[in-house]
Amino acid sequence: MTDGGDDSDGRSDREFAGDDNSNTPQAPREPAGDDEPGRSHSRVSAGSDSSDARSSPEGNDEPRSRSETISPAAELDDRGPTGDGQTAPKQTPPELAEPLPETIRPPESPAGLDQQTIEEYTTDRRSLNPTVQIQWGIWTTIGMLILGAVLNAVLGSFGVDLVFGGLLVPLLILIGLVWVVLRYRVWVYQIRDDSVYLERGVVTHVRTIVPYVRIQHVDTSRGPLERALGLSTLVVYTAGSRGADVSIPGLEPEQARDLQQRLKELAIEADGDDAL
Amino acid sequence: MKLDYRSVPYRILENSLQVVGIIIISAFASGGDGSDPLALFSFLMMGVLLVGAWQAAYVRNYEYRLDGDTIDIYSGVFSRREREIPFERIQNVDIAQNVIQRALGIAEVRLETAGGGGSSEARLRYVSRQEATRLQELISRRKRGDVTERDPGETGSILFELNQRELGILGITSANVRLLGLLFGLMIIVSPVAAEQVSPRLGLLLVFGPAIAIAGLVLLWIASGIQAVLRYYGFQLFRHDKELRYTRGLLQQYDGTIPLSKIQTLMVRENILARSLGYSSLVIETAGYGPGQDENVESAIPIAKRDRVFELARTIEDIGEPTFERPPKRARTRYVGRYTIVVGVITSLFGLYHWQTGNLPLWYAGAALWVLVPPAAQLKWTNIGYYTDDNYVITQGGFWSRRTTIVPYYRVQTISSTQTIFQRRRNLATLVVDTASSGGFWGGNAVALDIDDAVAEQLREQVHDEFHDSVEQRRQVSKQQRVSTSAD
Repeated sequence: MTDGGDDSDGRSDREFAGDDNSNTPQAPREPAGDDEPGRSHSRVSAGSDSSDARSSPEGNDEPRSRSETISPAAELDDRGPTGDGQTAPKQTPPELAEPLPETIRPPESPAGLDQQTIEEYTTDRRSLNPTVQIQWGIWTTIGMLILGAVLNAVLGSFGVDLVFGGLLVPLLILIGLVWVVLRYRVWVYQIRDDSVYLERGVVTHVRTIVPYVRIQHVDTSRGPLERALGLSTLVVYTAGSRGADVSIPGLEPEQARDLQQRLKELAIEADGDDAL
Repeated sequence: MKLDYRSVPYRILENSLQVVGIIIISAFASGGDGSDPLALFSFLMMGVLLVGAWQAAYVRNYEYRLDGDTIDIYSGVFSRREREIPFERIQNVDIAQNVIQRALGIAEVRLETAGGGGSSEARLRYVSRQEATRLQELISRRKRGDVTERDPGETGSILFELNQRELGILGITSANVRLLGLLFGLMIIVSPVAAEQVSPRLGLLLVFGPAIAIAGLVLLWIASGIQAVLRYYGFQLFRHDKELRYTRGLLQQYDGTIPLSKIQTLMVRENILARSLGYSSLVIETAGYGPGQDENVESAIPIAKRDRVFELARTIEDIGEPTFERPPKRARTRYVGRYTIVVGVITSLFGLYHWQTGNLPLWYAGAALWVLVPPAAQLKWTNIGYYTDDNYVITQGGFWSRRTTIVPYYRVQTISSTQTIFQRRRNLATLVVDTASSGGFWGGNAVALDIDDAVAEQLREQVHDEFHDSVEQRRQVSKQQRVSTSAD
């Protein structure tokens, strides 16, 4: 993992602090050409006829589908800045006005979140609740016990000494627990003003951006172990081929519900056209 | 409207298994030994009658109506089912006709929506051929809110037609090269061993092993070639208002639609055989459902000269002349390392085999495979690339079967950059741009493999920003259109 980005939001004590995504919406759109060779071939002309062809059939039904999406939003009126005690207005974003100028926002929209609310809804780079390590640890231990038993059986059939087998299981569990700790340390999520951003993965780091426009629905789920530990998982669905790949584990239940509510409102606000 | 009455005999034929079942059951029930031809015949008649009555009742009770904004389908003999599908949600209307159906003059109409999953939203089995065409035409116009009836025989301009020569090349190149290569390697290695198992005096078989392997491969190749030729025989692609339409197939005739507004990604596929002949194929992926059956993704152009394919792709997405950015040189070093490990594993497997059985004295000769490693790494490297412009992100990858995936920014669903532990060592990363397209294992994901990690981070944000811009742009365009239509 690369290190050494500036981390403006005070999470620099963690190892994963290091890339400069925490304030990316502000990243300059057109960096100097030399480190971005692909851009030098940019073409401006858009295929006018193909884009016309594409947008018009859907144009007609848009108002209808929008009002449907927004219908649950009657309850939105009484949402206040409560419930997001952890969010402080970070990221004072003057740039926000640029990508989303006021004129574009449908003022008639009953769910319209003003800029300030969107700011309040965004979070800095957060890690998961540390308790999730216990959850993962239990699952990993169970998995490793099974793996160890299988390996022992296989090795035993080859006549390998069982002393080795006795060592194997604790070793596997140790590896598993180290993996759990690393996994916890890598995990970061962030609610940005236009997307959810996730970082995860020990062996393979994965950093994903999910634009609000693309969110289909948001679930919270709690398995038995999660309930026992007081945890909850937030699952974000997109229409993408990876389906429900985007899930944030290790949240406190009310935090998960709060995030769910926020994402719902932000997704309604983003109100993409029908992508399919 | 009802289904065509001629579908009853076909449906009986289709359900001949049921007929056979009834015959068997009644033969057992009657306690006869089943050898009496008269009894057998009467059982057969009974089976046909029973199944026929059921199918006739089904066809009689099946009704569909096109009214207002939906197509309503009422079906079921005992338990009735009503299904409403809004026209605007219908993505594809496909017509399939096999040989028997063509003789009877009936066709199957499949209606697909994005939510389909595996199966079609509705299948009309079967209506007359004219009715099928009429439905296809009608639905495609109702989808756009156009309610006028027009001459259904009217076809759009032909974009592409597969000629004999291209059909031949399609047959030659349609084999799954990677699979063939793998099988070939496997058979070369396995067949002598297998021969040895069969008879210890293997002298002759050792010679024949590879020969048999080659013969098997050629047969496989021919079979897949014939399959492709049958499938794409008479292929034609039309542009019809705001849809692409294609017809294809010799035995199983197939008419499909691809709505331009639902296109997610374009993919240019060229396996090594086609590439060496300068040919490519174009696949158009729509959301949630790949046109055509099962796992096979439908080609918009089964095969054509590379220039022609790109020319046609440009009429759909204005991609210009992409010039691909290759990954950094250290990516190539990575492939050398990776393939060296593979050679090492193979050699040590040989060694292990020798250690166990003692009859592979030259096991270390496997290491000679390493001479293939540098060219292999080079070939892999030269076939990887990415390109971005103001409207598209385009990625390329794969040596055996090269795929060039064209993703318009406004079709992006999620964007990820991933870094395996090995990539981290060399500061490489992979960018994955996910779309809602359906297509199988590799899907419509545009994958830029092994690019510099800083570039990957920056590209990820860039694609995301471009995505937002294009969504905003489209929203404004459609808003303007709404304003202008309401002003009319």
